Amino acid sequence: MFRSFNAGGTAPARRSLWQVIVDDHGPGRIVLWIPLVFMVAFFLIPLALTLVWSVFERTMFWMEPGFTLAAYQDFFGSGRVDSFLNSVKSAAVTVAVAFILGFPIAVFVRRSVPAHAQHQAVLLFILPFMISEVIRLFALRPVLGRNGIVNDLLMSIGLVDEPISALLFTPTSVVIGEVLSFLPFMVFCGFLAMEAVPDYVFELCDDIGSGLVVTLRRVIIPLAAPGIFAAAIFIFVNSLGLFLVPDLLGGPGAANAGTLVVNAIAALDFPLAMAIAAIMVTMMVALLLIGHWLFDLTKLLEPFR
Amino acid sequence: MNSVPAVEVDGVSKNYGSVSALKPTSFAVPEGRYFVLLGPSGGGKTTTLRMIAGLIRPTTGRVRIGGRDVTDQPANRRDTAMVFQGFALFPHMTVEQNVAYGLELRRLPKDELRDRTAAMLRLVGLTGFEARRPSALSGGQQQRVQLARALVLQTSIVLLDEPLAALDATLRKDMCFELKHIQESVGTTFIHVTHNQEEAMTVADEIALIAAGTLVESGSPREVYETPRCRFTAEFIGENAVFSGPIVEGALRIGGAAPFVRDAEPPLAISVAAENIDLHLQQPDLEQTLPGTVVDVFYLGFSALLHVEVDGGPVVPVRLLSKELDAGIKSGGRVWLSWDPDHARMHTA
Amino acid sequence: MSHDYESRWVYRAKWTYLLSVVGVLMLPVLYTLWISFNANGFGAAEYDFTVFWYVELFKNAEIRTSLAWTVLIAAIVVAITVPMGVMAAKFYQRTRFKVPFVFLMLSPLFVPADVTAAALLVYFKNLNRLVEGLIGVELFDLSLWTAVAGQITWCLPYAFVVILVTMGRFRPEQTEAARTCGADAWQAFWQVEFPQIRPGVFSAGAFVTILSFNEYVRTNFLKGGFDTFPTYLVSYMLNTGMTPEVYAMAGLVSLVSMAAIGLVLVVALRRRIG
Repeated sequence: MFRSFNAGGTAPARRSLWQVIVDDHGPGRIVLWIPLVFMVAFFLIPLALTLVWSVFERTMFWMEPGFTLAAYQDFFGSGRVDSFLNSVKSAAVTVAVAFILGFPIAVFVRRSVPAHAQHQAVLLFILPFMISEVIRLFALRPVLGRNGIVNDLLMSIGLVDEPISALLFTPTSVVIGEVLSFLPFMVFCGFLAMEAVPDYVFELCDDIGSGLVVTLRRVIIPLAAPGIFAAAIFIFVNSLGLFLVPDLLGGPGAANAGTLVVNAIAALDFPLAMAIAAIMVTMMVALLLIGHWLFDLTKLLEPFR
Repeated sequence: MNSVPAVEVDGVSKNYGSVSALKPTSFAVPEGRYFVLLGPSGGGKTTTLRMIAGLIRPTTGRVRIGGRDVTDQPANRRDTAMVFQGFALFPHMTVEQNVAYGLELRRLPKDELRDRTAAMLRLVGLTGFEARRPSALSGGQQQRVQLARALVLQTSIVLLDEPLAALDATLRKDMCFELKHIQESVGTTFIHVTHNQEEAMTVADEIALIAAGTLVESGSPREVYETPRCRFTAEFIGENAVFSGPIVEGALRIGGAAPFVRDAEPPLAISVAAENIDLHLQQPDLEQTLPGTVVDVFYLGFSALLHVEVDGGPVVPVRLLSKELDAGIKSGGRVWLSWDPDHARMHTA
Repeated sequence: MSHDYESRWVYRAKWTYLLSVVGVLMLPVLYTLWISFNANGFGAAEYDFTVFWYVELFKNAEIRTSLAWTVLIAAIVVAITVPMGVMAAKFYQRTRFKVPFVFLMLSPLFVPADVTAAALLVYFKNLNRLVEGLIGVELFDLSLWTAVAGQITWCLPYAFVVILVTMGRFRPEQTEAARTCGADAWQAFWQVEFPQIRPGVFSAGAFVTILSFNEYVRTNFLKGGFDTFPTYLVSYMLNTGMTPEVYAMAGLVSLVSMAAIGLVLVVALRRRIG
């Protein structure tokens, strides 16, 4: 009785077009290459070409193939490089502040929050990310302004007599805006790095009774180093690059590398814009390579293996 | 009897990059047989099974099912069904939906589909569990559902990849008997992969031993247990004292003692089943004995297991009836080993 | 866990700190939302609740048009990005070059928006000239599609990660079991794997919707001659300053995002209960 039905293995192969497409060796498997091709075509190649375009000759409204370092001379020989260096400084400050404020949260969540709630706790920091960058920055204006909520609060508890005007449209407000924009990344990356560390490492630290400072310095920070570094690169490069922050919160003339790019494009100086973009991309790749060489950033990808 | 083997593996090998998972291997499984691929983990037996199933493609060689070359066919177009070690039931479907899944793909009429599913659940003893989700079943029940899902397709081959490995020891034993009964009642060719020799001995009509990417040897359970050809088989199956040593005057020398085999052909090693070794507390009046020291004594109920370190030789297992321990055998004591030369098996490979 | 022997107060203090940081991050948004419902606008002494400013928004034809563009772009971006996220996750599982692939997929998160946007702008302008010279069609003229391409480079990493994490919980044995039951590759995916990764695909869709709806920098560089809601909002704000309409527009964007997050949470909770 068990031979009455055949699995279809020996049935004559009359297969529809759809079956041919989705066959293991059919054309359908090429579909999986689409995302890779897309990212190469619309991300990798354009960014790599910035290096090429940066040495093109500038024309009135566009550029034409050639080789000139004029754009770089223009960048390094003008006040632009000072704006750039200033924004490097404020980006570094942002990284430090984000580390001090954000990293303890990652440590706390990993070490003290019950295992089943850890992801939810970290996901709380996604909430602000889901609100438009523009809105979050713009919303800081009424908060930090002369008659904003912060000054109201400070005056009502009598900490200051008159509103602090340094809170808005100053370099300080740019740093505040950047920290508030990118802080969650320090929490995510720090947590991600420490998530790969098994619980017994922390239990062992408690067990041998190493103090907080020693545990931090000898165990937690070395283990979380790839995450801290990845977050630091992210925050640094984005602080440097996002023109929205100085645009919306900085005072007159506030600029970072992103502003320079945007202004260059507005002035139809495409080689200059591409040169600054190329500098930023090169910087990011160099930082990533250094980080990878120092800390093996692939450790962060452990959950995805 | 059909002369075409149900499955023919012909020079099949599998490489992952430069790593070889299976060296070129050939064997044939006759129709209706319960065939077991036995061997240590990572030896290539699961790779072999998955190549028969069509889940991975052989690097070289051909796979034939019922005489037809299916090497280029994926799993869904082969006349095989498969039972996995675990996690293979579809959690979003009920037990009934799981079993009926393959029949639905074959577009069977609804009532036939329901009848065959019900019959199969009855065969594996799960009538009444139709509406449950896999997560509400025990490990043993899950494996029964998997078996039903494979058998309901009525393919000519059923492949089982460590189907009992995730179960605890007692349950595994019961399931072994049951698997054997079911295979006998349906008469389908079963190919079963396991690393557990007791499981293999229980169910198999024929065992093929696979280790380090090669087929070491095959035969009935009795053959591989009693007359293993290869040294590896003797080491892996059963409890055997295995000796190898320098060859002096055409015979094997163990420690400083006399050779134990009469054959002119010099073997590489000899083995003796632990239960076939005679233990003496005084040097016996025999031509060939091996002196040694008892290292360990394990009391196991009906029988006892000793580890004896042969002077200048290996530590070997010796099995006794437990009551023989009363003669004064203890750890550290001097003993002499001997055996009937007919019980010594010679291994040239 | 290790908090068993920790002082309750220290533990609470840490939670308080965590939540207050989230609060500070959210506070400006909530504050502007609050202002947007005040009939008297920002800085007024009295607070009179009203939806007047929101009603005013919808009377403005330009805003309605920009909203329509935003919704259209978001719909297209979601429809393309989510399937691509699934493909990318599948590709990742199969490829031998996992690390370089992940680096490529996640790198758009690490490059500032304006750098990507500027590079893409120049890229599209060049492509357009090239293609026009070859076939006489301005295929890559700045348009809806260039904006969509720019947004996808930004949204795909998120969709990829969310789907990959969900897919990681799926046991590959089940695909193999389906194949040995007679399913072809597509049936095994669609009937067995997809029902189990659906929550991840759904969350990815919600994320991408929000990201696309909020996207400003890339869209502003790459759009054709139309305005999306964020680009309209920014140019309006830079032109007129902080008027009550601006607060209402900002409030609208926040409310849409919050509604989408709420939807995701509700669906997740219902799944857990059900």
